[in-house]
Amino acid sequence: MNILISRLAQAATVALLVGAATFAMMRSLPGDAAWRIAAGRYGYDNVNTAAADAVREELGLGGHWFPAFMQWMGDLLRFDFGVSLVSGQPVIAEIGHQLGASLWLALAAIGLSLLIGPPLGILAGLRAGGWLDRGLLVVSTGVKAIPQFLMALILILILSVQLGWLPAAGYGAGRHFILPALALALGLAAVNARIARDAMASIAAMPFYQFAQWKGLSRRQVLWRHGLRNVSVPLLTYLGLQFVMLVEGVVVIESIVGWPGIGHALVHAVFARDVPMVQGTALMLGLGFVLVNALIDLAVARIDPRGAR
Amino acid sequence: MTLLQATDISVSDGATRLLDPVSLRLEPGEPLIILGETGSGKSLLAQAIMGTLPDSLDAAGQVSIGTRHLRAGADRAAFRRLWGREIAVLPQEPWLSLDPLMRAGAQVADAHRLVRGLPRAEARQQASADLAAFGLGGAAMASYPHELSGGMAQRVAIAAARAGGAPIVIADEPTKGLDAARRDDVAALLLGELGQGGGLMVITHDLALARMIGGRLIVLREGAVVETGMTADVFANPKAAYTRDLIAADPEHWPARETAASVGQTVLRAQGLTLSRRGQVLIEGLDLTLQRGRILGVTGPSGCGKSSLGDALLGLLPPDAGQVIRAPELAPTACQKLYQDPVAAFARKRSLGQSLADVARLHRASAGQIETLLARLRLDPALLVRRPDAVSGGELQRLALLRAMLARPRFLFADEPTSRLDPITQRDVIMMLAGFAREEGLSIALVSHDAALIAKVADDMQQFAQPRPDTAGLRDSGKTMVA
Amino acid sequence: MTTFANSLPLNMPLGRAMGAMVLALVAGFALLGPVLVPGDPFAQSLMKSLAGPDAGAPFGYDHLGRSLWHRLAHALRLSPAIALAAVATAGAAGLILGTLAAARGGWVERLLVILADALMALPGLLLVLIVLAIMPGTALGFWAGLSLVLWVEFFRLTRAATRATLTSPAVQASRLLGFRAAYVFRTHLWPEIAPLMLTAAAFGTATTIMGIAALGFVSVGMRAPTPELGLMMVELLPYWREAPMALLTPVLATFTLLLGLTLLAGGQKQ
Repeated sequence: MNILISRLAQAATVALLVGAATFAMMRSLPGDAAWRIAAGRYGYDNVNTAAADAVREELGLGGHWFPAFMQWMGDLLRFDFGVSLVSGQPVIAEIGHQLGASLWLALAAIGLSLLIGPPLGILAGLRAGGWLDRGLLVVSTGVKAIPQFLMALILILILSVQLGWLPAAGYGAGRHFILPALALALGLAAVNARIARDAMASIAAMPFYQFAQWKGLSRRQVLWRHGLRNVSVPLLTYLGLQFVMLVEGVVVIESIVGWPGIGHALVHAVFARDVPMVQGTALMLGLGFVLVNALIDLAVARIDPRGAR
Repeated sequence: MTLLQATDISVSDGATRLLDPVSLRLEPGEPLIILGETGSGKSLLAQAIMGTLPDSLDAAGQVSIGTRHLRAGADRAAFRRLWGREIAVLPQEPWLSLDPLMRAGAQVADAHRLVRGLPRAEARQQASADLAAFGLGGAAMASYPHELSGGMAQRVAIAAARAGGAPIVIADEPTKGLDAARRDDVAALLLGELGQGGGLMVITHDLALARMIGGRLIVLREGAVVETGMTADVFANPKAAYTRDLIAADPEHWPARETAASVGQTVLRAQGLTLSRRGQVLIEGLDLTLQRGRILGVTGPSGCGKSSLGDALLGLLPPDAGQVIRAPELAPTACQKLYQDPVAAFARKRSLGQSLADVARLHRASAGQIETLLARLRLDPALLVRRPDAVSGGELQRLALLRAMLARPRFLFADEPTSRLDPITQRDVIMMLAGFAREEGLSIALVSHDAALIAKVADDMQQFAQPRPDTAGLRDSGKTMVA
Repeated sequence: MTTFANSLPLNMPLGRAMGAMVLALVAGFALLGPVLVPGDPFAQSLMKSLAGPDAGAPFGYDHLGRSLWHRLAHALRLSPAIALAAVATAGAAGLILGTLAAARGGWVERLLVILADALMALPGLLLVLIVLAIMPGTALGFWAGLSLVLWVEFFRLTRAATRATLTSPAVQASRLLGFRAAYVFRTHLWPEIAPLMLTAAAFGTATTIMGIAALGFVSVGMRAPTPELGLMMVELLPYWREAPMALLTPVLATFTLLLGLTLLAGGQKQ
């Protein structure tokens, strides 16, 4: 219960921050913002001074900042994001279009990273100091030092341009997923392998882990019955925090491979100073983080009955 | 028929011999006790017999169980196969030995299912019957370890260890960190394991536990056997000088205290003191007087509010009701404290000398006072260049006492200051503490779970009863786990 | 066992020492490179487009015939400088606010924690992009935006360490002995916080440099013709068949810089 209340407070603060930041962005728009917004709404041919004045009036762009800010936040709390300054479409509809593509990419990346990272990390942690552990440390350090965009660049050059196995860009078929998902997954795996490794090593050193073996359980049985269960708690918690890293990666990677997702749209919106789109997208991403972490909180509370950690 | 025979077991770390060859036999129905202080090699001996020595250590000798003969330090897989089936190992601290994320019943049933190969439903039934035999009802099956009291967790752990059906039980320091009542409880549980003609080997530093278990005794010191014999004989008539010292260091055998000044001047007075922690009332309406030159012994089970009383007397915990009145001439720093774990009471990354010099400067101690106190507490000045984690527990507790004395205290709250020390060191520290009371007129409140110790040194007594819910004991013990 | 003096760098773990060495190498090139071989990172010469190394340009030329040696040195000064400024600002803010929150408690702490939690929920690059849109000047915008993102980590670390330390027997003993807050901070808190701060600072610097490069790469960060690592890569990408070494130059430099920082941060994570 407590968890959910603090997550709600987090969500509210996220909304406040996004509102304030985008409001400041709106107020600092170069040129006559009202004119541009009116143009976005009614099309460039239909804009006249009256329409621009109406918009200026509505958003309070000309007046004192405080009533304008209250108006802005009020719209935000009613989930009224307005229309895109570029396409003239409602922001909600635009985001609805793009969210799916990003979600699938993110899920593919997380899934792939979980297939690579934790199994290696757990094996390394079981024999802390062994050759796998040391090898993994070297590899994960190296991979962590490669930014996601650089990883994508390297994979594009090797897998698609040089070997011609995969398309460098595009969207639609399953094979389009592999390259961007892999580019994201390798970076994530490098980190969650370390998390799993540290968790496994510390759990394997705990008295209950040794005691389970003294009961007569084999190594494999102890790992299965006690190891995985205990590793899953820190790993899940970390995955929640990793969500931000994933989103950042999605934003960058989508722009590189031309993925029609929310990240691609965001970069375009920032470039075009399409403030309503930026606001809608930012809010969606921030609330997505809170939602994912609230779900993880609940899952962890189920696995770990000790509660308040 | 001998259950287990170990021949010439020795352990070394490279060229350094840590344990000289030891031979022992475990007979059915006759407990075997291995007694020694920290660093005596008793745990190494147990680990070599169980096959759990770390890879970095070498062992030699032979362990025979029934018709099987295993080489100590080798045959890892063969030792592994003994666990649960031939040898049941009882853990040191039961709540740490149970998986915190698994229900108690499942942890016992696992052994029945995976070790003995019972089907799932039957394993559960058997686990339930095991727990019932220890007086634990159906609720314990579905409880998580953190919901169990220390005593309940101990029973669950024993049930889990024994589920595989091993005839030999090895208990490694089963009373570590326990108060007297729980220690007696553990002794009874262990002796109960002998009932079916099994073998019992107990590794301990606890003289009282050894006396209660009886059977045969091996005394170890610095990696060598000092004395062997029947436990009762050794206690009645110790032959080796070390064993004599050890037994004399048992508070039961301390000389009676010198009588203190009959009525000293009052230093601190508590009136109608009511204290609570986390919403639980621990102490209600307590009246207490602390007098110059007298020692107040404070006893009671874990979690009864002994430490909270200290915090209140020191002005760190505001009472719910009542008040603590300090004598008007007391300086703000006249009340000091000794901690159970002295390592945690010093700045971790500062040398001891620096820490003490800081205090001496703050309190304008006269030049040479540190040296005087070092000599009085029989401490080597060379220790001062070290960090707190690089000196022994007994030395550090004496340094903590030295630090407190630099502040010229009138009252000292000593919170289980010797519960982690070996008997001989414990006696030394307590005697020095008592010396400051007698000679400097220091008023001391001494907390201990050892009633015999309090009976020997305290002038006045304050005894607490168990607080209501049992979980408090678990919490308090959690804090003593650091080791 | 680390019982005796942790005197750097003798006791420094191998990884950290290697990281420091790699960073010294990169810094040496960035600072001394243009001194050893004087030249202009902006001077174009279409005749030398994508030409190989010569005496005036030891790393060759880019598509506009600008010396890669000088552009790289410039780029390796730019983003690390922004990163260090942002990390210093964020570190100071996080240290002060974290200690304050832990020591004060109450609503000060609650408010700061809620703010930090909310900032953690937002992707850092997004915040940086918004700040960039508001602030005049790209470098200034990066500094402000990155500081805003980075202080949270320092705040969380400092607060957690301070809370744990303030409730320890060691601090209680110091208070009973009559020591003041300044002494407690100096002898108990700072020795616990400092190593955490170093790790977080190295991680923060690496994240910052990655972020600047990523935004440069997708053309929403630094603007051409400024030599910046990500921007250089995206500019040279179309020519990678004709001049693979030209593209590899900023790629390897970025990797080396980030590897040095990752090693310096050490194994422990959060």
